[in-house]
Amino acid sequence: MSDRTARRLAGSVGRLLRHVFPESQSGWVRAMRSEIEQVEDDRAALRFALGCLWGGFRQAAARRLFSHGQGVAMMKIKLRHPRNAGIACALAATALGIAYLVAAGAPARYPVVNAAAFLLGIVALGGLGGARVQARVHSGPLLLALGSCLLATALAGASAQGVSRWIWIGPLSVQVSLVVLPAMVVAFARGPTSLGSVGMGVAAVALALQHDRAMAGTLALGLAILTIARPRPASVGALIVALAAFAVALARPDDLPAVPFVDRILFTSFDVHPLAGAAVLLGALLLLVPSILGRRDDPVPGNARWVFGAVWLGCIVSAALGNYPTPVVGYGGSAILGYLLSLSCLPADARSARGRAETAAQADAGTPSALPRGASLA
Amino acid sequence: MTRSRALSGQAVSLLAALAASGRDWRHGYDLARATGLRSGTLYPLLIRLEAQGQLEAQWQAPAAPGRPPRHAYRLTAAGLALARGHRAAARSDEESPRPAGGEAYS
Repeated sequence: MSDRTARRLAGSVGRLLRHVFPESQSGWVRAMRSEIEQVEDDRAALRFALGCLWGGFRQAAARRLFSHGQGVAMMKIKLRHPRNAGIACALAATALGIAYLVAAGAPARYPVVNAAAFLLGIVALGGLGGARVQARVHSGPLLLALGSCLLATALAGASAQGVSRWIWIGPLSVQVSLVVLPAMVVAFARGPTSLGSVGMGVAAVALALQHDRAMAGTLALGLAILTIARPRPASVGALIVALAAFAVALARPDDLPAVPFVDRILFTSFDVHPLAGAAVLLGALLLLVPSILGRRDDPVPGNARWVFGAVWLGCIVSAALGNYPTPVVGYGGSAILGYLLSLSCLPADARSARGRAETAAQADAGTPSALPRGASLA
Repeated sequence: MTRSRALSGQAVSLLAALAASGRDWRHGYDLARATGLRSGTLYPLLIRLEAQGQLEAQWQAPAAPGRPPRHAYRLTAAGLALARGHRAAARSDEESPRPAGGEAYS
């Protein structure tokens, strides 16, 4: 990373601080930002800024969990909500993955990239999931736009051995499908409209063009679970296209070699040390926990959670079977971002679950769907 | 009412660095370097010390044009007393006689 990039990143991180610290500490945020600017060495400034951000997150986490004076009991209640549990699982899985990377002797920047992706994902989740969307946002156009992004990546993205799945953001390559597809499928599960179905179809075509058996299979699995749970014309149509795309992806060659610390680590981590293997396995399994948590008063039993579980199970199984990224625990920020973004489509509490029920009722009645907060912005 | 509890090693280290400067003002990055604390640990400590009345802070005019004003810190009288108290307690712990294990079992 160049010094200039480091300085720019330090400035960006400084600007994020006000979102992490409470309003009552805005003076302290100003103090930290000012101090970041005073640090002459660009990389030291970035380290200083990231440290401030991390301190803010620790404070925010402590406030969220314990500020109401109900301590562990409150924490247990909060963790029963799928989104909150998902954040805890993502944190644990990222930490276990970093432990593996360190134990396996990965380059020093790999754990840093994963940790930074987690922080970025948390900020994005806070912005998306926490914002109250006053106006109704239709999910269909958004899913179509995201599907089009996948298609654009397949046609004009960065390629390796004829396969285009990535885009470059600065020095990092990002697998777009891992970032957006899980959120797309879960958002679609919460409001399967006709236009949303078209968006899922475009995504399926894009994955076939990308020769991506893993994500094409994951999409088909998620839509299959949705269709079984709630058979509707929109979800059936999307499933048919997704199955066809998966068949095409299977028929096309995908000869990309395994990338160290990214692919195949569910097995190779045990060669490093049994504990490293256990960390990777446990971290991967933790990703599924939000899908098995629910509330008895959940008005739409399971749909979004089951689809969420199916999508991430698909990613994990793909990583076990082929040369595909092992989500969250392996090196790479795309899956970490994708996991946290997909959490924004899960209900945070019973109130949003009721909103989901209304959405489902509207979708079933054939009216345009309004996504609940968070899901609309996936 | 200020809550009283044992200070962490990091807080003690920060208090010592601030106490060493007496009534002079110190800056965040300078304190981080002097104590070896990361900024994510330093600022929450500074925030807590200020809330407890142990620390005072002020904005200082930019040292050079184009630079932002800078936040500076020093201990209040209460903070200095707390730091001295900790230093004295640490010294008395070091000087207190300890049983000599070798003699006890000889």
